[in-house]
Parts: sequence; C-alpha cells; structure tokens
Amino acid sequence: MSNLNHLETKDINVWFGERHVLRDVSLQFQNNHVTALIGPSGCGKSTFIRTLNRMHELIPSAGLSGQVLLNGEDIYAQAVDPVNVRINIGMVFQKPNPFPTMTIRENILSGLKLSGRKIEDGDGLVETSLQRASMWNEVKDRLSEPALSLSGGQQQRLCIARSLAMDPNVLLMDEPCSALDPGSTRRIEETILELKENMTIVIVTHNMQQAQRVADSTAFFLSENGNPGEVVEFDTTENVFMRPKDDRTNEYVNGRFG
Amino acid sequence: MTDTLAQPRPKNAAPWEKLGSRVRFASWITSLVPAAIFVAAWLGLQLDFMAALLTIFLPIQLAFGAWAGFYSYGRKGVNDGLLMVVTFFFSTFVLVLLASVIWSVISEGAAALSPHFIYQNNRYITGTTGLEIGGAGHAILGSVIITGITTVITVPLAIATAVYLTETRDGARGVVRTLLQALAGLPSVVAGLFIYSMLIVSGWSSQVGVMASLSLIPLMLPTISRVAEESLRLVPSELRNGALALGAPSYKAFFMVTLPAAKSGIVTAVLLGVARIIGETAPLILTAVIANETNANPLAGGMATLPTYIYNFLYLGDATSLQRAWGAALVLLIFVGILFVGARVASATRVGSKPKRRKK
Ligand SMILES: Nc1ncnc2c1ncn2[C@@H]1O[C@H](COP(=O)(O)OP(=O)(O)OP(=O)(O)O)[C@@H](O)[C@H]1O
Ligand SMILES: [Mg+2]
Repeated sequence: MSNLNHLETKDINVWFGERHVLRDVSLQFQNNHVTALIGPSGCGKSTFIRTLNRMHELIPSAGLSGQVLLNGEDIYAQAVDPVNVRINIGMVFQKPNPFPTMTIRENILSGLKLSGRKIEDGDGLVETSLQRASMWNEVKDRLSEPALSLSGGQQQRLCIARSLAMDPNVLLMDEPCSALDPGSTRRIEETILELKENMTIVIVTHNMQQAQRVADSTAFFLSENGNPGEVVEFDTTENVFMRPKDDRTNEYVNGRFG
Repeated sequence: MTDTLAQPRPKNAAPWEKLGSRVRFASWITSLVPAAIFVAAWLGLQLDFMAALLTIFLPIQLAFGAWAGFYSYGRKGVNDGLLMVVTFFFSTFVLVLLASVIWSVISEGAAALSPHFIYQNNRYITGTTGLEIGGAGHAILGSVIITGITTVITVPLAIATAVYLTETRDGARGVVRTLLQALAGLPSVVAGLFIYSMLIVSGWSSQVGVMASLSLIPLMLPTISRVAEESLRLVPSELRNGALALGAPSYKAFFMVTLPAAKSGIVTAVLLGVARIIGETAPLILTAVIANETNANPLAGGMATLPTYIYNFLYLGDATSLQRAWGAALVLLIFVGILFVGARVASATRVGSKPKRRKK
C-alpha cells in the first residue's frame, strides 16, 4: 500500500505577535483523501492551511510551534528549503490570482519557470493541466490571450491548473469556490474528486454541502470567546455531519451558530 | 463555427449619455451666458484680462454652475455644479498656461531651428553672429552623454533602493526612507558644489562630463526610487504569494511577477528621473563648464549641454543670442517629448504579443 503523500501535523500552535490563534492542532491527511476544514469565520482555518506549505512564515508577525510531517519528515526541519516544500505542496487561494502580465499558457507554465525547472513538453503540459482543471475545451483556442481576459471562475480554474502543472503531492485549497457560481463550483468539485486519485487534498470551505460532496474526512475548527482556535472534532465526513460527538459540531453543521 | 446571433452595435448604444432636456438646457445656458457677459465686460469696460477673469467671470460662472445643478437635479445638484465649474476652470487655466509656454518655445525657437543648428557647434560664435552658422549640436551630444551616464548608473541603484524598501523587512528602512526624502530636497547647486569641491578643487579630476553625471545622481535617485517604490507597493501581495506558493525563490518571484506587474510605473519613475535632471543647469556649469567645442569624451575636456547652452546665450543677451537660446529650448522640448512617447510605447503592457496557437 502506498503511503506516498501522507501529511500529518503534530501539536501545531500559531501566534501572530503575542496573540495565540491556534492551539494544539494535530491532524492526519491521508493519501487519496480529501479533507475538509470547516468552522466559523476567524477560527484559524486559513492560518492553519498556510502552515502546511510554509506560506505562514511570510507574515512578519507570525510564530509557530509543532511539526508538519510530509511522509514522516518535518517540513519545518532546519535543513528543509521552504521552496521545495511549496513545490511539493501546491496551494490555491481564495481569490483567483493569475499573473496579469502573462498569457493563459504562460500562467500554466509559470510554476516550472519560477521554480527553475526545465519545461520539456510545454504544449502537452498545458493541455493536460487544463484538462485536469476541466477547462481545456473552453480555452484551447485562446491560450495566448491575457489571463485576465478570463471570467472569475475561469481564472480560479486556471490557478488550479497552474498548481497542477507542478504535479504536487498535496494540494491545499482555501475556499476555492467562494467567489464562484454554481456551475464553476460544480466543475471544481468534479476536478477535486478526479485529482484525489493521485494526491492528497485539503480544502477549506464554508459550504456544508460542498464538504459533504467532496470530503472523505472533515475537521471542525472553533475559537470560542477569543480563545485560540482548536479542532473540536475530526472524523469521517459522514460521522461529523450525521453523528457528531460534540454538541458544538452538531450546532454548527446544522447551521445553528457560527 | 456556429451561426452567430451577434448584432452590430447600433449608433446610440449609450443610453447614459442621453441627457434630459432640462439638463441640456441648463448646460447650454451655463456654458454660454457667463462667457458672453465676461467678453462684453472685458471689451466694454477695457478691463485687464486676468483681473476680469478672476473677478467677473469666475463668480458669475460659479453662480450659474450652482443654478444649473439646482435646476437639473434639485438641491443635491448644487455642489456638483459648483465642483464642476471649479475643476473645469482651474484645469483649463493650467492647460492654457502649459500650452502658452509650449507655444512660446515653439514660436520663438522655430526661427533658430535649421539642420545646421542640430549638428554644428559653438566655435567662433559670438553673441552677434548670425543664425546662418553655429548650432547646439555639441550641447545635444553633451546632454545625451551626461544624462545617459547618469541614468545608467542611477536606475539600478534607485530600483534596488525601492526593492529594499518594499520587499524586505529590514529595520533600517525607516532611516533610508527619511534620507531619501532629505535627498529629494537637496538643491541642485549643492550637489554640483559637492562634486566640485570634493573631486575637482581637490585636483582629483578636472571639469569633465563624468563629473557632471556624478553630480546629477543624487538628484535623480530619490525621484526614481520614490515613484518606483510606490508602484511596487501597488502590486497586490496575492500575486507575490501566488508565485512563492508555486515554489519560486524570492528573487524569481520578484523578477518574473512583481517587477513585470509594476513595469509601467517603473518606466514612469525613470522618465520622471530623466525629466528631473535634463534641465539642470547649475551643477553642470560647476562640473562640466560651458564648452563651445564638440566633445564626445566624458573623461576629458569640458562638455556643453542644452541647459548650459541656453544659459550662456541668455547671459549674452543679444537678439540672435536669445534666438539661439529659444532654439535650444525647443530642441530640449522635442528631446523630452520623443523620450516620453518612446518610453510609453515601450512600456505598454502587451500580454501575449507572440501568439503561439496549437494545432488541433
Ligand atoms: N496577518 C495576520 N496578522 C495578525 N493576525 C492575523 C493575521 N491573519 C489572521 N489573523 C488572525 O488570526 C485569526 C484566524 O484568522 P484566519 O484568517 O485563519 O481565519 P479563518 O478561519 O480563515 O476565517 P475565514 O473563514 O473568515 O477565512 C483571526 O483572529 C485573525 O484576526
Ligand atoms: Mg480564511
């Protein structure tokens, strides 16, 4: 059994300046698994997902303790180059961020160029990446148009395709559908379900139906009364939504607070 | 591919531009009546133009603007009307000033302009020599060389400073920014004096083109780096983060994403920097003297530039001298114009200029 893309956190604590915003988060993300992170606004989901590929440390006041293990190796170990971490663990942001000075094609290939890798079969890579993000048919005739000529939903799928071109082991998505229409959302969800055959996916979402549609496991984050955010419940999606152990989870997934 | 349902755009496809009849009536009245009263008063009462403009035209125009706003949109339109008059009045005023400066340079300078004015130098020319010989060729050459050297040295320095200020979290940024601001307030003659006393009076160098270039660096640097800093700051952090999240080292994220996104702002910064120094006179008189000969070597001998050429002939003051000065001013103006247009064209963002279609 391959356990190639196994990601795991151990006792992650996060501070911004002196403020403690995440406490003792220990989660396992399995290969070929989609894990959803849910919870009310401000509980630290984005902060947590950014610790998983070392984007967190780019914030000047950031602090962190604990471990993030990719296949058993701590990505925060001293010898590890954050650049390599980010190559293996791709990220899609809440707001589509295609590079405005590049064409659609150049955007797809930008990851390879930025990380200094050789582009062997550019055309083929562009096609497969766009196909995996299910937008090849829409844009195959406009590859040399500026990326900003796409609609918001298309831009987001372009960003997904851009991450996929890097062939990451893990894909992190922070509310990838929050700015999209139902059609684009559905296509991205289908994409996620196809992608999980080959990688580990972590997705932050505010949409309970979406979590149930795509996620195998779900972690519920909560920060009460200004305390640091914590994982209240982490289980299979079915258990979290149908048989929550914690009352607060029950209330949240049934839309009664948060 | 398929039959298109698209239709050509009809002529009047901008319904928001159709004004109501009240608005149209009020705007006609407001644009014509005050102007008519003003012309009548100015000609009839033999008033000074500027005085009449400010004491008669502006108040009447303001009153009419307020009335037009009220008539068209009710009370909430009054402020709109007033603001419209103020902005139109002052922008027209500035525009007219600018146009008249440019016009006087063109009309006065055109007489001196001729092919030989562009390439001949100032040898054997006195204040009263006729315009049929002599020119500012040596000054044009000197301006290009001196400005060019300064630009080549300063642009990387200034952009590096801007990058330091925007991309790093270093603690000394505040100090650097303050120093830069102080430098921006440095009078140019002081920059010239500095080079003159430190490097020329001390005997280390004579008065040559490079010294002039050096004295212009502290004038150009703050202009470029402050504008470049501003345009780098405007690049959304999402783009930079997007690049870093793809596994880019910071320097590549900067060169491939941040810098291209700020390109047109940085080109503007460089242009403003060139514009800042190209008209400088005082430091050049101190460091490169007012030469009459053509000299393309910035390391030996004095070098003329357009501003010092103008200064020289204004100083002589004869009729032909003044014409030469105007001519050189016109050349300078054309020079700057070409530079600006060229840089704008070069910096226009063309995404995907090299189409690379795939065969299906
Ligand atoms: N750059 C920052 N500097 C200081 N505090 C921050 C920063 N980013 C986030 N925080 C704080 O950390 C906490 C968690 O924020 P985070 O963005 O992770 O929440 P979230 O769960 O993603 O919320 P949402 O669902 O609204 O996106 C919040 O209290 C927030 O104020
Ligand atoms: Mg968030």
